[in-house]
Amino acid sequence: MRPPALTLERALWWGPGLAAVLVLLFGPLLFSDFYLSAVITKALWLGIAAASLIFLAGYVGMVSLGQVALYGIAGFAMANLVTADGGSKVAWNPWLGTFAGVLICVGVGLFFGAIASRSYGIYFLMITLAFAVITYFFFAQVTELSGFGGVNNVERPDIVSNPVADPANLFYIALGLSAAVYLLIRYLGRTPFGLALQGVRDDPSRMRSLGYNVPLLRMLAFGLGALIAAVAGILSVWWNTRISPGSIALPQTLDVLVIAVIGGLYRLEGAWVGAIVFAVLDNWTRGLELVGERFNTVIGVVFLAIVLLSPGGLMGIWESVTDFVGRRFGGARPGPAAARAEEPAAAKDTPQPS
Amino acid sequence: MRVPSEGSRTRLWLLLGALTLVLAAIAAGCGGDDEDDGGAAAEETTPAADTGAGDTGAAAEGEPIKIGIFSNNEGAFAPFEGQTWGGAMLPLINRGATPVSGDPTDGVENAVIAGHPIEIVYGGSDSTPDKAVEEARRLVEQEQVDILVGPLSGSEGIAVANYSKEQPQVTFVNGISGAQDTTLKVRSPNFFRFHNDGTQWTAGLGDYAYNELGWRNVVTIGDDYDFPYSQIAGFVAEFCSIGGKVTERLWPPLGEEDYSSYITQIPEDVDGFFMGVGGTGTVAFVKQYEQLRGNLADRIMGGIFMTDPVILEELGNQVVGVVTAGMTAGDSQEPAYLEYSEGLAEAYPELEGTASSVFAYGYYTAMEAIAQGLEQVEGDLSDDHAAFREALTNLELDAPLGTITLDENRQAIMDNFLQQIGEDTTGDGVPDVKTIKTIPEVDQTFAGFFSPETPSPDRDDPKCEKATPPPWTQQGGGG
Amino acid sequence: MSEATAATAADLDWRSRIAALPPGALALRIAVAVVVVFVAVWVSYKAYGDPRQFVIVGLNGLTLAGLYFVVASGFTLIFGLMRVVNMAHGSLYMLAGFFAFELQERLTGGEATSAFGTSEAGVGDWIIPLVVACAAVGVIGLVMQQVFLRWNQGQDLRQALITIAISIIIADQSLAHFGGIAEAIAEPTVFPDSVSIFVYDLSYPFFRIFVLLVAIAVGLGLWAVIMRTRFGMIIRAGVDDRQMVSALGINIQLVFAAAFLLGAVLAGLGGVLGGTMISVDKANDTQYLLISLIVVIIGGMGSLAGAAIGALALGLVDSFGDVYLPAGYTNYSVLLVFALLVLVLAVRPLGLFGRPA
Repeated sequence: MRPPALTLERALWWGPGLAAVLVLLFGPLLFSDFYLSAVITKALWLGIAAASLIFLAGYVGMVSLGQVALYGIAGFAMANLVTADGGSKVAWNPWLGTFAGVLICVGVGLFFGAIASRSYGIYFLMITLAFAVITYFFFAQVTELSGFGGVNNVERPDIVSNPVADPANLFYIALGLSAAVYLLIRYLGRTPFGLALQGVRDDPSRMRSLGYNVPLLRMLAFGLGALIAAVAGILSVWWNTRISPGSIALPQTLDVLVIAVIGGLYRLEGAWVGAIVFAVLDNWTRGLELVGERFNTVIGVVFLAIVLLSPGGLMGIWESVTDFVGRRFGGARPGPAAARAEEPAAAKDTPQPS
Repeated sequence: MRVPSEGSRTRLWLLLGALTLVLAAIAAGCGGDDEDDGGAAAEETTPAADTGAGDTGAAAEGEPIKIGIFSNNEGAFAPFEGQTWGGAMLPLINRGATPVSGDPTDGVENAVIAGHPIEIVYGGSDSTPDKAVEEARRLVEQEQVDILVGPLSGSEGIAVANYSKEQPQVTFVNGISGAQDTTLKVRSPNFFRFHNDGTQWTAGLGDYAYNELGWRNVVTIGDDYDFPYSQIAGFVAEFCSIGGKVTERLWPPLGEEDYSSYITQIPEDVDGFFMGVGGTGTVAFVKQYEQLRGNLADRIMGGIFMTDPVILEELGNQVVGVVTAGMTAGDSQEPAYLEYSEGLAEAYPELEGTASSVFAYGYYTAMEAIAQGLEQVEGDLSDDHAAFREALTNLELDAPLGTITLDENRQAIMDNFLQQIGEDTTGDGVPDVKTIKTIPEVDQTFAGFFSPETPSPDRDDPKCEKATPPPWTQQGGGG
Repeated sequence: MSEATAATAADLDWRSRIAALPPGALALRIAVAVVVVFVAVWVSYKAYGDPRQFVIVGLNGLTLAGLYFVVASGFTLIFGLMRVVNMAHGSLYMLAGFFAFELQERLTGGEATSAFGTSEAGVGDWIIPLVVACAAVGVIGLVMQQVFLRWNQGQDLRQALITIAISIIIADQSLAHFGGIAEAIAEPTVFPDSVSIFVYDLSYPFFRIFVLLVAIAVGLGLWAVIMRTRFGMIIRAGVDDRQMVSALGINIQLVFAAAFLLGAVLAGLGGVLGGTMISVDKANDTQYLLISLIVVIIGGMGSLAGAAIGALALGLVDSFGDVYLPAGYTNYSVLLVFALLVLVLAVRPLGLFGRPA
């Protein structure tokens, strides 16, 4: 593949993203400690959670509402394995606990992926939603694991330090992990495995006739999604220094869905775009007299508006803008189709089961 | 979801335009936060004293003091927000402030304590620890309050108390969150609780059950989460330490609305049972019990939920005769209490009749303690509030329902009240609650039964064991 | 129907069908069978030990199943015909409960609704709120369908997202207007509290039996409508082949609207019944959405018989799980529901009576 030409359209598409990353690199200098920690770092790990959803939706055609439940499993597993107030009395080394938490989450993800691998589209959505709510009830009711009022003071590895006193540490860790997740998924999209997944998204029956084990692929994809969600979950526990059932209830599941949709359900960048919009809006409206208590209504209306008017989310809007500008002002250049060859194609609404 | 076609392009541009406006507004609003000193969002706070952005740190003579107050504005306890704010505003109103409107959450104007103007900042969470800490952080780090009052729910309290250790320059005073661990285990040096915890609220019931009603075997039934654990822990501690036996503890899972299967598990031959079923479940439980087993009144004791006026109105006459306990006595005729109750109703007519609600009372005692503490040190908050905290620690608060002092964990020691639900004689549709006994000076440890080393109350803890009877029981020399 | 022919073919050759299964699938089916047998044995053992409790808990399960069926039948009807997953179904349930409660309060001057106070709640004081609440919720559902769902048919995911957004807004607004305290709708005072059930000297709450009877009536009614009326015939045809139906000149949009209205009314009926039998609470929207989802996942989308079986399975697991799990593990009862889902999906990924699109 020849390297893509630098066109106005591409510059517009990538420009703001790169600028944002540059700004973030200097985050601790530009933002107050509070804002850095409470809003931006939160947006970063929420973005990772949304990315796990967008990965599954955009690359494999599996819209899953179970990502928050999965990250909750990672978080609770880690919180129970390390020193903390509440939960089990086991006290492992924080790195070991983290690793184990991720492993457990991936295990559950693979198990659940196996169960749900034969279900498609809206049916799959329903099953993952049921899974998410059941997981919440599980942790709410099994207080041996969820502690007395949650698991507090979860021990963190030294490098993470204290998110309130030294927000820069966790900020850079979250930033680094976000970048890693983003690059990993983009890279994966070009590997044979990734291409097979996209094939499954587009036409499972054809893939089957080509000899691919479609349920296995879907199960593995779900496990991968669980891995990404686990990263988000671990970060969220480090960020909060605690975890409780209320951290992974239905509102949180819907929050991540809302973020993904607002950002753009099939655009990976949308994960973080949606997350930052959400976090900023949340923080801003809390101070407002009129809105303060009714943030949920506001976000519900924004969500509805996006779904009705621009299903591609903010990234979809941005894409239209760059398209338009590129066509108007750009010179001869490879058509939009070629430019989009490396990005997940705007998939059909739902893949059709065989 | 393909990129929209030509036809819907106008819609797209409209949406884009709207979004740009919104984003611009956000950017304008957040502009102030992009600086290292942060928190220039004073204009977005509740209308308060006309003092402009308050300075933080050592509040010298006449300098404004910023007090943040947060309760629940979402979640199961949201309906009680008005009561919490009413209670919190009353001490300020008694010192000359005027309510902004009939809605307590709008705050007050012209609040002054010891010559310092008071700026009130609004906050709200949804009864989950995560949100509570987020709100606490926003109020402390972004709004830069000097003193924080709150939170409301049990698990929130533990989380905020833990957070308070990170912010030694701010004094935290609990709202009404009732988990035992918040003070007994967390023991943050700048976190104060001027009311009894959930466990203390059942003091006196074990004694009454054993000595007055002659119960020897009891079954407890409570929702499977932290607050019922606290309530039942108190009952078990007292009842068992004087010789009673708790033969079984039933814990319907959280969210379970269908108690019928649990009710059938209650053995027929126990003397009585203690009901720690909470807010949303109380109504369902009472109804289902009636249908399956018959009248409740002579075999049941209840926890704090049963005396809340809002719940009582729901439960109606079916719980007449039931004995409960709590930290407030709605029928008190003491002048101090009447003054408090009437003052609340006068300031906020919509809160009439709710003065005895723990939500109002807890926030009231918090704010009153803060006010008295500030008055004692004349508003001196220098040196990380050293003098102020000293004053709070040694304060003997003359509250409407009795004196409140603090123990070494900054946890209140105060009276508890044994109450019985009676027929509605006042005609307001709410069964009357009659105080039948005052339990003096209940301490958090129940005479040593609870300590920082004992396990937190949960499904099996505390164990039912004979121990030193608490001083207020008959066996302990009280009664 | 094609199912009949498939069944005969299967009957003829079940031995060779089993032999033809790949080893993994066979092992899975054996595992499921083992679990089912184990459960049956455990339940029988417990039942033998305490037959009175078994009867009561069994009735609890049946009556719960009745409620679940009423709610889930609306959900599966809407999906089966229009392939719309109405995520706001639980919200409609909750709204109906709140509307009925508020109306009853006004009608009885706030007396009856102190959960079964001493004053009278006439039959009218229950029926009128029921009818009004169902109608209101039906209209809301209909409006929702006409405004938001009519023009994007076929885009399953988008419609699911739209209904999710609506449920978020409804939940927040209803918290603002109705508050967070649970209420209970009062039954008519003429209804006896309990009736004897002639076994073991037991008596059982009358209203729960009433709910079961209503559920059975609803089931029979729906079956009659779907199987015996023209409207039902169109629905069945529309489920099979929507385009053909409209090509035949039938106003398919009218049928859709009517079906959505019916589905919403069923959610409302469930809400009022549940609000009287248990309580009306702001958590209901999540709870009953989950219940509808599970019932329909087990039973299969668009199948009424499936909804009945799914409701029965869920109701019984819910009730027996609370009581028959070893003491000290009762808080794991939600895992039983999960296990039930896993068991069904392992052998029937589309539900017991589900069919692919």
